[in-house]
Amino acid sequence: MAFDPSRSWDTYPDIEITLNVNGKNYKVKVKPYERLIDVLRYKLGFTGVKEGCGRGECGACVVLMDGELVPSCLVLAVRANGKKIITVEGLAPEGKLHAVQKAFLDTFAVQCGFCFPGFAIAIKHLLDKNPNPSEEEIKEAISGNLCRCGSYYRLIKAAKLASEYVRQGKIYFDVKR
Amino acid sequence: MAQAQVPEYVRVVEELFSKYKEFVYVGKYIQRWDAVAKITGKALFTADFLKFYKDPVYVYTVRPKYAHAYIKSIDTTEAERYPGVIKVLTAKDIPGVNDVGYVIPDQPLLADKKVRYIADPVALIVAEDKYVAAEAAELVHVEYEPLPVITDPLEVVDLKTLKEKEHVRIHEERESDIISHFKIRKGDVEKAMKEADVVVENEYRTGMQEHAYLEPEAAIAIPEADGGVTIIATTQCPFDVRKAVARVLGLTQNKVRVVVPAIGGGFGGKEDVVNEIGAKAALAAYYTGRPAVVIHTREESMIGHSKRHPMVAWYRHAAKKDGTLLAVEANIVLDTGAYASLGPFVAWRAIVHSTGPYKVPNARVDTLAVYTNNVYAGAFRGFGNPQVTFAFELQMDALAEELGMDPVDLRLKNILREGDRTVHGQLLTKEHGVGLEETLRKAIEVIDWYRKRKEYSQFAEGTLRKGIGLALLWHGNSIGVEGADYSSATIIINRDGTITFRTGLTDFGQGALWGLVLIAAEILGVPPQLFRIEPPDTSSTPDAGPTVASRSTVMGGAATMNAAYKLRKRINELAANMLGCSPDEIVIRAPEKEDVKPSDVEVFCSSDPSKKVKWTDVVEQSFWDGVPLQEFGFFRAPKAEWDEETGQGAPYVTYTFGTMVAEVTVDIETGAVKVDRMVTAYDIGRVINRVGAELHAEGGAIQGLGYALMEEIVHDKNGVVRTYNLSNYYTPLVDDIPDEIIPIWVEAGFKRGPFGAKGLGEPSIVAIAPAIVNAINHATKHRFTQIPLTPERIYLGLKKAGKIKL
Ligand code: FES
Ligand code: FES
Repeated sequence: MAFDPSRSWDTYPDIEITLNVNGKNYKVKVKPYERLIDVLRYKLGFTGVKEGCGRGECGACVVLMDGELVPSCLVLAVRANGKKIITVEGLAPEGKLHAVQKAFLDTFAVQCGFCFPGFAIAIKHLLDKNPNPSEEEIKEAISGNLCRCGSYYRLIKAAKLASEYVRQGKIYFDVKR
Repeated sequence: MAQAQVPEYVRVVEELFSKYKEFVYVGKYIQRWDAVAKITGKALFTADFLKFYKDPVYVYTVRPKYAHAYIKSIDTTEAERYPGVIKVLTAKDIPGVNDVGYVIPDQPLLADKKVRYIADPVALIVAEDKYVAAEAAELVHVEYEPLPVITDPLEVVDLKTLKEKEHVRIHEERESDIISHFKIRKGDVEKAMKEADVVVENEYRTGMQEHAYLEPEAAIAIPEADGGVTIIATTQCPFDVRKAVARVLGLTQNKVRVVVPAIGGGFGGKEDVVNEIGAKAALAAYYTGRPAVVIHTREESMIGHSKRHPMVAWYRHAAKKDGTLLAVEANIVLDTGAYASLGPFVAWRAIVHSTGPYKVPNARVDTLAVYTNNVYAGAFRGFGNPQVTFAFELQMDALAEELGMDPVDLRLKNILREGDRTVHGQLLTKEHGVGLEETLRKAIEVIDWYRKRKEYSQFAEGTLRKGIGLALLWHGNSIGVEGADYSSATIIINRDGTITFRTGLTDFGQGALWGLVLIAAEILGVPPQLFRIEPPDTSSTPDAGPTVASRSTVMGGAATMNAAYKLRKRINELAANMLGCSPDEIVIRAPEKEDVKPSDVEVFCSSDPSKKVKWTDVVEQSFWDGVPLQEFGFFRAPKAEWDEETGQGAPYVTYTFGTMVAEVTVDIETGAVKVDRMVTAYDIGRVINRVGAELHAEGGAIQGLGYALMEEIVHDKNGVVRTYNLSNYYTPLVDDIPDEIIPIWVEAGFKRGPFGAKGLGEPSIVAIAPAIVNAINHATKHRFTQIPLTPERIYLGLKKAGKIKL
C-alpha cells in the first residue's frame, strides 16, 4: 500500500449535528465516520451505553432512536442528526428507577451487569408497544441481547413483572439506597 | 494435622464453623451492593473512564499474517510518518523484560524473532485516534519467513505412545513442545484389566471454548510524576497485572498501581491477557507521558486472548460384573496453543480430577499439555476439569450400558463417601464434608429418574426422541499445589458507624465480594447495607492472591472471618465495659429494613436487653478509648501434597461435589437438540450468598450448554480463526435455554471453610456437558464422544451409523 497522507481519517471535516438525548439537546461536532455509540459515550458521557461486539450482535449498545430500537454501534452519528435518543440513563428521572429497573432488582437478576442497559432498553421498547406481552413475545423482544452471565430466567421474569407495574400505572420507583 | 500445629487463623475458622448454626445474613436473599449502579448505567467499567481523560493516546496492536513464521525484519517508518501517529513501538523499545508469560517465561509482549499464532503482537501503534491507529497498522511492513502451521496437537504428540513426534518446533528455545506431563500411578492396572468382566475403551474430544464475557478487554494507563504508572484495567488479578507491568517497564512494584473498576464478566479469561494489554498501555504512557488506552474490539478479543484447552483423550475403564470399578487408564492431551499461559496448572487440575469422584483402586493416567499454533489456551471456569469430566462421565455411561445397569446404580456402587480414599490416596473425612451421595439421591428424586429413563427409552414421535442423562462432579477447592494459596481482607469501621471493606479479590459479576460482606456482617452484627466495598487497588488493598479457582468465598471468606472475629472481640469488650455485663453476652442487632442507618443498630446485653447503647455510640467511644476499629485478616490454606511420579497425596483441602441431570428432545433428522430441563445439585458446604449461588447454578448451566452443543473456536489449517465475532461464534441466547433449571443445595459443611462453605464458581460448569450428551446418547441410542455436539455432528453421526436414512 502506497503512503497517502490524504487518506488519513484525521483529514475529514467535522460536521455539526444536533442530538436530543434523554430529553436534552446537544450540539456536537463529529467526523463522518464516527459511530453514534462513541459520540454518546465519549463526547456526551452516556457510558451506560455499552459496547460488546460492535457488530449488532450482542444488544449491549441498543438505544431508542425516535422510539425505535437500534444498535448504536451500527448507526453513524450523522444519521442520528435531529433524532431523539433514549439511553438507559434516560429511563427514569434522576434518583428514581423505571419499572423495568425495579423489576431487575426484584428478581435479583444482576450479575456483572454489562448487559443490563441493553436489556433495560429492549424491554422498555417492548412495553411501549405492548404493555401485556406473553412469554413468547418477551423472549422474542430480548432474543438479540446476550447475557453471558446467564441471567435469562430472571430477565424474562423481570419483563413480566415490569409489565405488571406498567399496567398498574407504576412507572417510577424510589431508590432505597 | 495435629491440633498444636493448627495456625490461629485456621482455628478461628473452625471455631466459628462449630459455633454458628443459625444466620441473619448468610444464606439469605440480599440485594448485592452494586445492583442499582449497574441497572441505571452508572457503574463505571474500564472503558467508561475514557470520558474523564480528554486527551488520551490510543494503542493498537499490529498482528501477523501468519500463524507461524520467523520475523526477518520490521519496518515502521511508513507507519510513523502517517498523520496522527505518535510512535510505533517494537520489542527493542521495551525498557524491562520482554515477556508476559504467566507460568513460564515463553511469551514475548512484542514478538521479535518469531510469531507463533495468528494474533501474536508484533508492534504497537500509538496514535491520536483509534481509527488512525488501526489504519497505520497496515503500514508496518514485516518481512516473514513462513513456517508450517500446526493446529492439531496430535501432530506434536502421539496419543497412544505419548511420545513427541517429528514436527516443526514451535518453541525451539525449549527442550520440547510438550510443556507438562503429569502422572497417576496406582495399583496394578494390567492385572485389573485382565481380571475385569467388562472393559470399555473410547476416544473423546472437547472443543476450544471462548469466554465471550460481554465486556471486551480494556486498560487505561496514566503516567505518574515519579515515573510510575497507574493502570485502570478489567482484570481478575490486579496483583498479577502489577507484577507483569513492573517487569516489562523495569519498575519496582510499588510504582505500579492497578485499580479495578466494575468488570463485565471474566470466567477465568481476564487473567493473563490483561497483563499483556496493561503492559501495552503502560508502555505507551511511558513513551508519550499521556494517558494511554487499549480497548479490544470483539474481534481482537476473540483472536487475542486465552481459551479453554481443547482435549483429546483415550480412556479405558474396567469393572466387575456387579459394576465395581477395578481400574481406569487414560492418555489425555491438552492443546495449550502458542503459549503456556496457565496450561501447566490446567493440566494438573485435569489429572487430579481425571478418574472422577469414584473409588478407583488401580489407575494409570498421563496428562500432557502441548504447544500448537492455535490461539493460546489458559484459564476458563472449570480449569481442565470440564474436559476430563466429559470423558469419564461418558465412560461411566458406556460402562453402564455394557453391564446392563442403570447409570445411577453404577454410580451409587462407586461414588466417594465419607471414609473413602480418593485415587490419590487422600482420606475423605467428616471434616471435608462429603455430600456427593446426597446430591445424587436428591437430584434423581426431584427429576423422577427411573420412570423417565424407562419411558424415554421408548419415546418416538415422528423424528423426535427423548432422553435423560446425568453426570457427577468433584472439584478441588482453591489452587492446591499450583501456587501460594493465601488470601486477605481489611475491615475498617468508620467514625459514623459505616464500614469500609477492602480486599484484593475482584468481582467480575459473580458477586463473590458480596459473600465476604455477608460473612463480615454476620459476625459483626452490622447489616451488609452499611458496608462499602472499595474497588480493588494494589496501592491500598492488601494482596489477596488471584481471583481464580473458585477461591473467593472459601479463601477470602476465611480471611474476612479472621478480621471480623478480631474486631468483634474488641467491640464486645468495649461494649461490656460500657454496659456492665460480660463480653460474651454482647448482642449486636439491626432492625430489618432496606434503608437501615448506623444509628438503628443496637448493642445490648443478652441477660438484660434493657442495658443497651447505639452502635454509633460504641464506635464513637472506641475512638476516645483508643480501641482500634480497623482490622486485617489473613488466611493460608493448609499445604497440599502431590507426588510427581505417582500422583499420590492430598492435592486439595476439600472438594465441591455435584450431580447434574439433563432431559433433552432430539430431532434425529435435523440433529437439533432442545434441552428441556436440568437439575443441578451441589454440595457447597454452606450457602453463603444465596442469590449468587442460584445465579451460578443457572449461569454455569447455560454456559455449559453452550460448551456442549454450540460453542467452538475454529481455526483453519493456516491457524486463522474462523469464528472471530459473536456472529459466527454462537453462545446461548434466550431461545436456547432449558425450560427450567432446578437448583438443589446440599450443605455438608467443610470444617475449614467459612461457616462450612466450599467453592461454586467453577463447579457450576463442570458436569453440564456430559449430562447433556449422556441424555442425547440415551435419546439417540448412539454413543457420541465429541463436543460441541452440533446438529451437523448429530445428523452425520446417526447417518453414518445407519440410524437414519436421509
Ligand atoms: S455493541 Fe452494538 S450490538 Fe453489540
Ligand atoms: S449480567 Fe453479565 S452479561 Fe448479563
